[in-house]
Amino acid sequence: MDDDELIASLAGGDDTALRELFARHAPWLAARLRKALPPDDVEDVLQETFLAVWRNAKTYRPRGTPAAWLWVIARNQAALLLRKRGPAAIALLDEGPLAADPAESAAVRADLATAAAAALGPPGCPDREVWRLMYEEDRPVAEVAELMGVPEGTVKSRAHRARRLLRAALGGAR
Amino acid sequence: MNIELTDVTRTFGRNKAVDGVSLAVGPGVFGLLGPNGAGKTSLLRMLATVLPPSSGTVRLLGRDPARPAARTEIRRRLGYLPQNLGYYPAFTVAEFVEYFALLKEMPAGQVPRAVAAAIERVDLGPKAKSRLRTLSGGMLRRVGIAQAIVNEPELLLFDEPTAGLDPEQRVGFRALIRDLGRQATVVVSTHLVEDVGAACSEVGLMAEGKVVFRGAPDELIAQGAGSELGDSALERGYSAVLAASRKRVAA
Amino acid sequence: MNGPDDIDLNRVWVNVAAEIWRRQPGRAERTAARLLRSPGLARALVTTPSLLLPWLIATTIVFAVGALTQLGAGQPLVWLIAPAVAAVGIAYAYGPGLDPAWELSCSMPVSDRLVLLTRAAAVLGVNAGLGLIASAATLGTHVSTGTVQLTIGWLLPMTAACALALAVAVAVRSAIAGAGAGAGAWIILVLAHGAAGGPAGAGSGLSAAALSSVVADANLYLPYLAVAACGAAIVAFATRPQRGLL
Repeated sequence: MDDDELIASLAGGDDTALRELFARHAPWLAARLRKALPPDDVEDVLQETFLAVWRNAKTYRPRGTPAAWLWVIARNQAALLLRKRGPAAIALLDEGPLAADPAESAAVRADLATAAAAALGPPGCPDREVWRLMYEEDRPVAEVAELMGVPEGTVKSRAHRARRLLRAALGGAR
Repeated sequence: MNIELTDVTRTFGRNKAVDGVSLAVGPGVFGLLGPNGAGKTSLLRMLATVLPPSSGTVRLLGRDPARPAARTEIRRRLGYLPQNLGYYPAFTVAEFVEYFALLKEMPAGQVPRAVAAAIERVDLGPKAKSRLRTLSGGMLRRVGIAQAIVNEPELLLFDEPTAGLDPEQRVGFRALIRDLGRQATVVVSTHLVEDVGAACSEVGLMAEGKVVFRGAPDELIAQGAGSELGDSALERGYSAVLAASRKRVAA
Repeated sequence: MNGPDDIDLNRVWVNVAAEIWRRQPGRAERTAARLLRSPGLARALVTTPSLLLPWLIATTIVFAVGALTQLGAGQPLVWLIAPAVAAVGIAYAYGPGLDPAWELSCSMPVSDRLVLLTRAAAVLGVNAGLGLIASAATLGTHVSTGTVQLTIGWLLPMTAACALALAVAVAVRSAIAGAGAGAGAWIILVLAHGAAGGPAGAGSGLSAAALSSVVADANLYLPYLAVAACGAAIVAFATRPQRGLL
């Protein structure tokens, strides 16, 4: 079974597919993460990565980029971990092994966009607009507030709601 | 010393299944050899706190299993794989191991991780969510091993554990008990001599309810020097000791 | 698995597997765990064969049919079927010899005796509850004989039948023997009592009044209690700790 089939299988609840995916990809993910993080953190990030894979496999669209998809999830999990540590740690995300690769991110964002369409409603409705501006076009909160003509607080709460709706649609992260 | 037996006897009617056995066993792997009917299973049942001795004293993990509170404490730290395990056909592997983890009063928070670790340790990961009725005999045996080790016991008792396992799985089992024997006392009762040879730090040979030999596997091999009965050094030692004990009984 | 030397990928996988293989207990189990102060006992309780959903549904249907027949035809039935149904349920509550993994259960900190007791009590309680509901629903038909007797008078024979069923099941190590003994003894008693005519005297035949006197006859209270006590004693003896496997 190739990776695309494995991911489809595990989206259907097949835990042995996740096992196989782990056996294939955990080693290189670990090596890549290890370049930026200490061993304990690498283990934590890997664990959260594959749990996220288990929960979000439904959003994956087969395009021959399973490795890139996995890496983006791993990087996001690393970012979550580092954000808790404070600004100094976050700096690790801008350069070096954990820096975001535009090509990889674009592919994953495209997948998310399709899922977003289903979960957030038609284009133009507030939740969808916020999602598009903040996460698909990566604009800062202030700019989004100006473009939409609403206070920053409203933007933040809409973004929060959009994330919640998306999470629920994608199968519930804890 | 995790096991201390002093002159322990167990009678069933007029049959003396265990006859005056005194044994002290510490951490490591202890192989209990002997022909069928030698009293190995009755001895193991006494170690598992399932059967009381007819006479003599038993001390397990420094406690007296005749007293209910101490018996419960021993059982929390015990792992037991009986010869005939039986299983619940509708349960999955994970549900079965978890059930006994809960009955062993493991703290609920530790249970999922312990269950996963035990299942992976016996190489049943791909079958974790499969129902027991779909498994082969060898796999069911490994499920039994998993429930025995799930609570990381200090005292592990295996009664004929390798029945149904293919040679490769037996190698895996020997590696497992060697590993477990580093911290715990592991007693493996079997009539297959080769099963234990390599993995045990000590062996004991039972015949007609008595322990007729106790020592390192090498010493058992030495007993068989010059004997013709048996295909391997260990088997020759085993047969020689058994023959000598029968002569003693007849005399 | 081979990653960097200082990363234990097996440990990482075990942690992932722990999350995806874990079972989330239902609300009934969580409540039972709190009340019984033992997650193991709660799990044993919710896996009782005669408390699983199919069995519960079947029992409810039997009681419902009994109640509806009573309402329709005026024939008292709830008191008649309750003891038999409960006896069968109790025999399948699992005990020594009925539990395939029995030898292992005997070596557990949560003792097999406690598991059996909890399960039997739950089955008895559930059956008694269902019977009481059916009885309450058919209150109007108990006009001729004493209301109280027919509404709850079957609780005592139910307990006796259950004790008998459990004792036989445990002693003979067969659920079906226990079920047969409990239900069978009850049916024989009912028919014998009806044939003898009850308080109306021999020859009044298998009338409703004669049959139902088997729960209403005060002379039977002591025998029922005696059977219940004997059954309980047998079960207590057969499940004593460290009895071995005889």
